Amino acid sequence: MQPFELPLTAAADAIRARQLSPVELVDSVLDRIEKVEPHLQAYVAVTAEQARREAREAADEVAGGRLRSPLHGIPMGLKDLINVAGAATSASSRVRTGHRAEADSTVAARLSAAGAVLLGKTHTHEFAYGLTTPQTNNAWNPDRIAGGSSGGSAVAVAAGAATFSLGTDTGGSIRVPAALNGVVGLKPTYGLVPRPGITSLSWSLDHVGPITRTVEDAALVLSVLAGHDPRDPASLVVPPADYRPDAGADLAGLRVGVPRNYYFDHVDAEVEAAVRHAIDQLQALGAQLVDVEIPMTRYIKATQWGLMVPEATAYHEQTLRTVPELYQADVRILLEAGQLMPAGDYLHAQRSRTLMRQAWAGLLDEVDVIAAPTVPATAVAAGEEVITWPDGTVESASDAYVRLSAPANITGLPSLSVPVGFDAAGLPVGMQLLGRPLGESTLLRVGHAYEQTQPARELAPVA
Amino acid sequence: MSADELTPPEAARWAARAGLPLPADRHDAVAATANHIHSVVAVLRELDFGDTPPALAYRAGEEKHHAAVRTASDRRR
Repeated sequence: MQPFELPLTAAADAIRARQLSPVELVDSVLDRIEKVEPHLQAYVAVTAEQARREAREAADEVAGGRLRSPLHGIPMGLKDLINVAGAATSASSRVRTGHRAEADSTVAARLSAAGAVLLGKTHTHEFAYGLTTPQTNNAWNPDRIAGGSSGGSAVAVAAGAATFSLGTDTGGSIRVPAALNGVVGLKPTYGLVPRPGITSLSWSLDHVGPITRTVEDAALVLSVLAGHDPRDPASLVVPPADYRPDAGADLAGLRVGVPRNYYFDHVDAEVEAAVRHAIDQLQALGAQLVDVEIPMTRYIKATQWGLMVPEATAYHEQTLRTVPELYQADVRILLEAGQLMPAGDYLHAQRSRTLMRQAWAGLLDEVDVIAAPTVPATAVAAGEEVITWPDGTVESASDAYVRLSAPANITGLPSLSVPVGFDAAGLPVGMQLLGRPLGESTLLRVGHAYEQTQPARELAPVA
Repeated sequence: MSADELTPPEAARWAARAGLPLPADRHDAVAATANHIHSVVAVLRELDFGDTPPALAYRAGEEKHHAAVRTASDRRR
């Protein structure tokens, strides 16, 4: 096995045991990037020399007995909405030409302090306002979409071109590409991971979190990222925690909610079968399955749009007036039209969110987690803009990919996407586990328990 | 076109009023997209919000439990 093939936890163990040097690991992943990147285009920019320099420094520190954290010497990619001091944050947009971040974002600073090695910045759908990431190809089939908006981050991890990465998630942008590329994505509780220094799409819906090969890997990264930052008005005051799940896979006593509405409506049959099979595995591990009714489903899309559309337009107010022609057509039109939403409609969405949070809190009194598909379909072909369901309903691919993710953005509940197999075309399927506010440890325990019932996951073969 | 939809000139005027002058070749597309967004979001007008406050800067985990969801038509009944 080559070092680039190691999941984060295994690589960290090998570095700690001095069986693997950060230099060997980073060189191996950089070689992998060179090989697969022509097929994937996951990265906006790769900073190989700087990564090699950081790897040598990490190797020296580790050799000197100064291991900073399990992430010390581990190579990562950061979505190019996340500021790193001295580097451009392109947001994959011509609008940001010539940009240079003056300071690290909170998450970049925490990862740097933990010793993680930055490989480069990964592609996003322009300003995170879309679900495809058209610059990047799916790791399992280059003719399929990467998903988005954190498409580059998910594809890089799926292909072994980063040992882990960070994404952001406003309507599903961590979990959607994670599901479509067969990797793990965690959208933490709103406010658990601070956002200063990250380009916003919609302040009240934005989250940042890890994309990894395994659930245990996501727990390791979350342990470094989580914690209060007073510069983020949404930041929660929580004590430092070690999110790594216990080795045990016994789920006895755990109540898993299985939605009888919404989450299995207009879902591809192969996706549904894979997710239901995975839910059966949770039951086999001792979990009790409970039928649950998802509340207020008629208002989910309206609430998501009512919040996101005007907030995104507000964020882009200046550049929409000065350089509108530099935006891609799909993003520009949404930003312009967002200017026409009345404040009353925005407040309806804010008040609907209050009702939705209350209703979901009641639901999560009945069960410990909810298990459902992450997305209703595997990756569509690039350029395939709509999905036609068997009953003749036509849905835009973007709407379909957001549909099952948005509730966790509106409510702020944590949501973990875990790969649960492939469809007949060889494309990955994801299962979503939703939990109570700050219930990350439970989600990670359930996801890890599921993973232990499965053979180790392979990297996307790519080239 | 329904009564609450914006025509392209109306969309242009609304945008200008909001401080976003639109070139003429954008009016049709912006009106169409704005009308689509409106059709999605207007469904929230069915809800009876009563005294419900907006969740402007919310803290996950501080919600009251078991609030009943009512629509405006429930209230009229």
